[in-house]
Amino acid sequence: MNFEEKLLKSFTNTSEMLDPEQFINKLTTARYAQALKRSQTISSYLALIVILFVGILGFNELDQGAILMDGSYYYSTTIDLDQDEDSEYFDELALYIIEQEEDIWMAFSFFDELEYDKIVNLMEEES
Amino acid sequence: MKTDRELIEEFQRGSDEAFNELVRRYLDLVYRFFQKITPDKMEAEDLAQTVFIKLFKALKKFRFESEFNTYLYRVNVNTANTYFKRNKWRNMLHLDQAPDDGYVETSQEKQWRKEEIWAAVGRLPKKQRLVVMMRIFQVLPFKDIGNILDMTEGTAKVNYHHGIKRVKFLLGNNE
Repeated sequence: MNFEEKLLKSFTNTSEMLDPEQFINKLTTARYAQALKRSQTISSYLALIVILFVGILGFNELDQGAILMDGSYYYSTTIDLDQDEDSEYFDELALYIIEQEEDIWMAFSFFDELEYDKIVNLMEEES
Repeated sequence: MKTDRELIEEFQRGSDEAFNELVRRYLDLVYRFFQKITPDKMEAEDLAQTVFIKLFKALKKFRFESEFNTYLYRVNVNTANTYFKRNKWRNMLHLDQAPDDGYVETSQEKQWRKEEIWAAVGRLPKKQRLVVMMRIFQVLPFKDIGNILDMTEGTAKVNYHHGIKRVKFLLGNNE
């Protein structure tokens, strides 16, 4: 007996059969389960994409902040630039007010008034 | 009785029953093939199920460029190939540490356990492995093997020759 025949002989006693109807039922269940899993995976990816998209959009919106919003002059960047130029002067002024009044809130309200003055001036200049 | 082509065309038009008829027709062939690969009946059934799930997806776009039989053999062999890759290390372990039970050895004839043979076949290069699988376990002529694997009959024979020589060596049959 040659090698090939011996190999074939090793597999001759495998003849058990499956019930086709039972197998088809199992197959159908497996197919549905696989389709469900696939659709769930696709849904998860779509949800992830939507979340990322909304997140990126939201981040961009929030990143712009109130500064560039139409009609809002209160936190305008131009005021900040002016403040930079005079910062030394305002620092001294703040210290002076705190020393004189011994009340930090007075200093704050004074600076608030200054801000409002600038805004009023800006609005007048524009109109 | 409807031909395979008619059933596939019906299935492509949306009839799942036509597909079930194909399953009834070929379940025996597919299951027998995987029974030869693994001693575990559940695993053989799972592999047969994998084949039919693949067919369910693929037959929707089947263009009849080859015979359904040929296509089915190819799916069988590819599924077996994936199974081999997945169990490569396990197979190697089986081959190196094959237990004694199940052996029938006489001076004239030596029988091997299925796991041993598959472990040896699993260690062959891909082409040789595919040819040996189809020749030994599906008992196909070289011409058909060539058609299924897109190679000439001569190439199939050469691959088989080298493959079987290597299996013989791995099984320790050097007579």
